[in-house]
Parts: sequence; C-alpha cells; structure tokens
Amino acid sequence: MEISDLKELIALLKDTDITELQVEKEGTMIKIRRHLGHPSLELMAQRPVLQERAKTVEEETQRLVTITSPIVGTFYRLPSPEALPFVDVGMRVTKGQVLCIIEAMKLMNEIESEVDGVVVKILVENGQSVEYGEPLFLIEQI
Amino acid sequence: MKLFKKILVANRSEIAVRVIRACKELGIKTVAVYSDVERDSIHVRIADEAVCIGPANSSQSYLNIPGILSAAEITDSEAIHPGYGFLAENPHFAEACHTSGITFIGPSPENIRLGGEKAKARQMMKRKGIPIVPGSDGPISSEDSVLKVARRIGFPVILKASAGGGGKGMRIVNEEKDIEQAYYLAQSEALAAFGNGELYIEKYIPDMRHIEVQIMADNKGNVIHLGERDCSIQRRHQKLIEESPSPISTEKFRKKIGDLAIKAAKAMKYRNIGTMEFIVEPDENIYFMEINTRVQVEHSVTESVTGIDIIKEQIKLAAGLPLEYKQSNIRSSGHSIECRINAEDPERFIPSPGRITLFYQPGGPGVRVDTAAYCGWVVPPYYDSLIAKLIVHGKERGEAIMKMRRALDEFLIEGIKTTIPFHKKVLQHTDFEQGTFNTSFVEKITSGNAAGREAVPEV
Repeated sequence: MEISDLKELIALLKDTDITELQVEKEGTMIKIRRHLGHPSLELMAQRPVLQERAKTVEEETQRLVTITSPIVGTFYRLPSPEALPFVDVGMRVTKGQVLCIIEAMKLMNEIESEVDGVVVKILVENGQSVEYGEPLFLIEQI
Repeated sequence: MKLFKKILVANRSEIAVRVIRACKELGIKTVAVYSDVERDSIHVRIADEAVCIGPANSSQSYLNIPGILSAAEITDSEAIHPGYGFLAENPHFAEACHTSGITFIGPSPENIRLGGEKAKARQMMKRKGIPIVPGSDGPISSEDSVLKVARRIGFPVILKASAGGGGKGMRIVNEEKDIEQAYYLAQSEALAAFGNGELYIEKYIPDMRHIEVQIMADNKGNVIHLGERDCSIQRRHQKLIEESPSPISTEKFRKKIGDLAIKAAKAMKYRNIGTMEFIVEPDENIYFMEINTRVQVEHSVTESVTGIDIIKEQIKLAAGLPLEYKQSNIRSSGHSIECRINAEDPERFIPSPGRITLFYQPGGPGVRVDTAAYCGWVVPPYYDSLIAKLIVHGKERGEAIMKMRRALDEFLIEGIKTTIPFHKKVLQHTDFEQGTFNTSFVEKITSGNAAGREAVPEV
C-alpha cells in the first residue's frame, strides 16, 4: 500500500461518521480508527433519533463508562446519614452493584453499576439534585 | 391570599412559553421540564430553572408523573401548570399533585374525571335540563343499542369514544348495514388510544357548527363566561381555524349560549377555567356536546377580543383568589381569528419534522404569534405538529380577514412543510368570507368539492 492510498482513505473518512475502517489489500491490512469527540448539545438536538452518544476520547481510550441518572431526584452517596458511602474513588465494583441512591418522591431508588470496573470519578455531590441523564460516575471497565 | 412563588410548567412548546410568560408577569419563578432531545427549546431557555425528566418519547418524559413530581420536589415548586394535552386532563395526575402538597393549576380531579367520561357528562347535563345532542342515554353496551338509538333519532349517527378526543374512536354510520363494522372499528380504536372501549352515540349533524364558550370559576362557585368561539373549521375533528365572535353570533345568541355554559359549569361545580363545547344546528338550536377541563389552544382568540389574560387569571384562581371580573365587566370588542400553523404537508397533512432554515414571523398592528419555533430549531418527530398560532384582531370581521391574509403572506418558514398554504386557501374562500361555513367545510375544499368558489384566484 502506498502513502497516496492512505491519504485517499483518510480523505474519504473525513466527511463521514465512520470511526473505524479496516482495509485489506495485497497482503497488507490497514486499520484506521477515529475519535469523533463529544458531540455538542446542538448536535444532539440535530439528530433526535440518535439514542446513544459517541464516546469521549477519554472513554474510548481508557474504556470509561459513564453511569447516568435514569430519574429525577436527589443523589445520595450513603445508604443512610451515618453509614459509609456505597462506593469510593478507586474501589472495584461489579455489574449490578449499588453505587448510590437517588431519592424521588420519598422513594429510595438504588442505582446499579452497568459494568465491572473501578470507580474513577464521582461527578455529583452528596445531596445534589439530579435530572434525567445527569452523569453520576465514571467507571473504568475491566 | 398570596400567589405562588414558583410554578413548574409540565408541558412544552408554545403553551409552555405562554404559561412562563404569564408567570413572569405575575412575578412568579418558573421551572421548565424537558425531554433530553429538547435541551435547546425556547421554553427551557426562558424559564428560570429547567430539569430534564426523561428521554424523547412522551410516556417517559412529558407523561412521566413521578418524574414531573420529582422535578417539582427538587425545585421546591409550589404549583404545576399542566398546559393542554399530556397530563392536563389526567385526574390521577391532578390527585397526585394534591397528595404531594403541590397545587394543580386547573379544575378539580372530579371535574376532570367527569369531563373525561363524555357519556356520563351528557347524562348529567341532560338531568340538569341542559339540551344535549340527541343520542344514547349514556354509554352503549352493545351493537344492538346502536340500531335502537339510530331508529329513535334517525340516521346518520356518530359513534364516539367516551374516554376519547382528537377524532379517535369516532365513526359515522349512515345506514343500518354499516353499524357492525363501525361499531367494532370505533371500539378497538378507542381501546387502543384511550385504554377504554366505551362508546356512546350522537345524532350526526353534517352541517352543524362547533361553537364553544370560555368559562371561569372561583372557589366560591362564582362563574362567568368570556364569550364564544367558533371552531367549525376542522379536519377530522381537529381544529384548524378559530374565531370570536362566531359569524352567526348576536347579542341574543351570545347570552343564550353563555347562560347555558354557566348553567353547565354550576351543575358540575366547576372550578378554575374551562370550555363548554356546543353543537349548533343551522336553525340555531344549541346542544351541549362536551366539557374541556383545561386551557385550550385557542384561548388566545378570546384574549384578543376581551383583553383578559386567561392564563394569569387561571393562576390567580388556582391560588384561591376570587374572580376579578363580574359578567357585566366582560366586553367583547372587535373580531379575532386564529390559524394553527402545523409542521405538516398542506395538502395531505402528513407530519413534516426537521430543521427550520428560515423563520420570519408576521407582525404589525393587531398581529400576535404564539410560538416556540425559531430559525435553526429542529421540529422533533415525537410530539404533536403545532408549531405556531397566528392570531389577528381587527375592528370587525372584514378587517380581521384582511389582516390574516397579509399576515399569512409574510409568515416565512422554510426547511419544513407547513399548513400556511392551506390557511391561505381557506381565507380566500367565499364560504369563509361570508361566514357560511360549518364543520363540513374542510372536507369540501380538500376534496375539491366546489360548494363554494375561491373569492380571489390563487396566485
């Protein structure tokens, strides 16, 4: 494969949504991977049928998963005021493990991890009001 | 009695903007709720606070009762305004608000419940001496009832869903042999759309007018009316153009229909604002049809002729204040017409969502536009297609018509299809000009059935 071929491939990708392209030619295999970056909010409005957003560069490279709130309510890190928090930064968690509580209308909703991994960042404060889709935890998937 | 400190608006688009405007003018803080595809909406931008309550589809967002109540809780909202559609006529929601210590801005749950059981409402009105459209006594239990009632009142008849609205669960029956199919179709449609297959029957009057009366009631049982609106320009039972006064209205007619509306409201101990809908025959017999227990899209027409801000009054009434006006204070001045601009193909009325690339709204004296649309906004495919209301006010009907024609000419929307061309067609039609239309009008002009001619050839 020549440099000109590569240049052509890259140019082809430029105006598309393609994030990964694998080409095999004459015994050579080329794989090109792109990170499209975090779409702006405007972009989200532009494509209302798009349910999943593209991953951030961070998320792609470090296999980070963002746990977002599925409901509106108040975020609590602890099961009760005197208890220890459900999780801390650096802690290993398993899929299904309770990460926090979101209280809505006097009901305590347990929010579970979607993946096995390590808690990298906690994005909200204890007692903070959260809305649907609010990012709560960054978990590095392992 | 004090007004609320903060109101959560449980709706979207133009009505959310309308309610936020009224709140701001009353010095009340506002909370907008939105689905996650509506982050860039106008109602979100202009509210004091905004809470995302769910994903795009309505059932998980604008119909999400726990989500909305939770949003009210975390923002310390004292009251919720439901707008129209969505949860506005959901008695469970009204009750849930009450249980949560939040004021529901609208009538009582009992009022809403009765309004949503149209067959029962008819029965009640009949008992109280209010003339109703001839038909079944309450809901019908079987196909055989249809034949019985039809033989008594005469064909054609219309089957209607008791829990319904928006033209769904309705079937016209012209003769005996059509009964079976119509019955099963109406019933299954009603069941699918409203979870309730209960039907009732009315005499079908093809050349009737749909004339409704705006009412307001306080907690002491005082009720007034703000005059009538003629909403006969409908397609498949969905209103397209409304006006006030009705072209057939006289002082005598207005008093007659207004008094009937008040009588109906008092009969059901109605609270807050609402609309009594009537069917009017060509010989001007007035029949009660149904109650709308909410603010309506076309409330703006009444605001134009009376000068009263209906949403502000609604909020005050919900806060427990007595009615500010007596019936003798209510004056109707001039003539107002409203066109509902939908994001739809103007000929086939198929929805046309997408990005708006040009949006220039009309202005000048006597022109009002209620909208949440703007250039660059993407009309989402998940919700109803109303994107703007164009309301004009003139000294009399002729001037209002001229104003609406020129306003439609300057309303420039590109990127999506809209019903503006359809409205232009109606406004040029002699039947409309002369006010001699009825609920068959739209069908006549869309099927090319020349019952009237266009007054001016279309350019």
